[in-house]
Amino acid sequence: MTLLKRLIDWIDVRIGAREVAAKELTGYLLPRNINIWYSMGSILLFIFAMQVVTGMLLLIYYVPDADKAFKSVTFIMNEVPFGWLIRLCHVVGSNLMVLVLLFHMLSVLLMNSYKSPRELHWLTGFILFTLVQGISLTGYLLPWSQLSFWATTVATNSVGAIPAVGQYLVEFLRGGKLVGPPTLGRFFALHVALIPAGIAALVGVHLFFLQRTGISTPPFGQKETTNKWKGDGYRYENHPGGIPFFPVYALEDLRSIFICLACFLGLVFFFPNLLFTKEAFLPANPLQTPAHIKPEWYFLANYQTLKLFPSEFLGLAAQGAAMTLLALLPFIDRSPERHPLKRPLFMVCALGGIMLWIGLGIWGHYS
Amino acid sequence: MRLRETVMNLTGILSAVLLFALLPLPATAAEIVCINCHESMPGRLGEPVKLWQDSIHAENGIACNACHGGDPKDAANAMSPARGFLGAPQETSIPAFCGRCHVGVMHDYLASAHGKMLGRGGPTCVTCHSNHQVFKASLDLINEKSCGRCHSFERARLLRAAMQETEGMIVAMDQRLSAYNGKGMDTEGLEKRLFAVRNRFHTLFHNVDVEMVKKESAAIQGDLKKIQDQLTALDQERRKRKLAGAGGISAMLLLALFAHLLRKTYD
Repeated sequence: MTLLKRLIDWIDVRIGAREVAAKELTGYLLPRNINIWYSMGSILLFIFAMQVVTGMLLLIYYVPDADKAFKSVTFIMNEVPFGWLIRLCHVVGSNLMVLVLLFHMLSVLLMNSYKSPRELHWLTGFILFTLVQGISLTGYLLPWSQLSFWATTVATNSVGAIPAVGQYLVEFLRGGKLVGPPTLGRFFALHVALIPAGIAALVGVHLFFLQRTGISTPPFGQKETTNKWKGDGYRYENHPGGIPFFPVYALEDLRSIFICLACFLGLVFFFPNLLFTKEAFLPANPLQTPAHIKPEWYFLANYQTLKLFPSEFLGLAAQGAAMTLLALLPFIDRSPERHPLKRPLFMVCALGGIMLWIGLGIWGHYS
Repeated sequence: MRLRETVMNLTGILSAVLLFALLPLPATAAEIVCINCHESMPGRLGEPVKLWQDSIHAENGIACNACHGGDPKDAANAMSPARGFLGAPQETSIPAFCGRCHVGVMHDYLASAHGKMLGRGGPTCVTCHSNHQVFKASLDLINEKSCGRCHSFERARLLRAAMQETEGMIVAMDQRLSAYNGKGMDTEGLEKRLFAVRNRFHTLFHNVDVEMVKKESAAIQGDLKKIQDQLTALDQERRKRKLAGAGGISAMLLLALFAHLLRKTYD
């Protein structure tokens, strides 16, 4: 104990660590009516870290070569000690990351925490959401199975519907006219280097914004629920008399992370094939198109939308419009009210949008 | 007897290797010019394509050129003898024609009563397995209707009964392996072993010697038991994983409870 104290003292006299801890941990106060939804960010950070670690371990045995990729994944799943566990953690983790990210965005949306001065938080969060979708899509191809090959063919094909530059973009993404070895090389580089670096950087920016503005107060259980920031100058939203982040809310974060981990392990150990179809265990064969290739669950609504419109371009345009609206929401929705129940029109639109997304996804799954 | 067993093992493995060597070359209708031309032809020239599409050969990617030779990628020279085109074999050449791949089966057939009658009204490969719409080797091929075309079913019935149990084991194991494969388990090695055992077993179909079938079936069942033991070991491994998973989940829930209770102490 004395040794630890001496070590902390040694660090403290050099960088003032105790002052930082007092300000950012024990002295960082959170609103008293904070709820479990505020833990989603911490869960996401934990999952991202887990994805990085499991991804690095997979890199030891994975071979990003069209002739060897499938065999290397099979080798990881069957021969490498605990390789199956590492790969399943990576696969389930990627899906969980999208799910928790959706919950995080949903809570921010319904608690109207995106309102000024937090437009940049929302915007960086939205870009993170698209990057997470991107990292999932690029990772999907890497096992080089029938499922990954044909799902990537379908996904990259839809880009071709963009007028004028569509075909050029498809070839740029694929590295050729068809999905093939150059596509694997490109997607591998994006998946393991470019997108993770982008996510890490943007997470840093997102947290920096959070640190500068302070955490938003949930609108629930408050008498006054309007947004008080008038745009007249920078202001840090502090919460006098609030609960300290460390150790109090950190324990709540930990509790949420452990519950999430319990669900995660449930999937990994008891439903390991929930996210795989039979085609996921067949090597990619460009000459044999499987009958019903479907994208992952979070792309099913996009997939169904493309099928509903008479032309792929219209389907893409509708999706682009919806995504732009969502990205620019804080700049469009200028109402100061933050309590969802005092905003019936907004609630109808938000819940309608969510139900439409779920409905399209279910339709896409069974279509 | 040991020599015979060794020879049978070797021919089984050789057949397996030969067939597996052909399997990685998927035949698709689009790239084989034989199919492109013949499928639109009327009558006996077009019929083989339709029949082939339902065959075990088509299922395993064995296309026209695998048997008839020729160049499947060059329409002008597809049927050129210079490119190895063989055309259709004479009746007496059929066993040798099929035996290029099914080596062990050919030897057993030629040594059997069936083979000894080759060219003298006896059956050839296509009599039971059909040509083009090649039927998968199974006990279903030994039936009263088929065998009754030439002789009584009595002896064939005994042969079928002797093989029934082993065939059932092979079919069940094949289904079990497919199920494992669909769950991402690497069953390639076991599949190859089962393929070799099945081929060895299927060669017995052709020597039509009931006593030998009974004797060989016991040895084959011993080999199947070894594969089954490995599958049982895989099952046990899965069970262990689930137990470890249950432990991990319980630990996480306990930690969550601990964090929750610790948090309460700060209220």
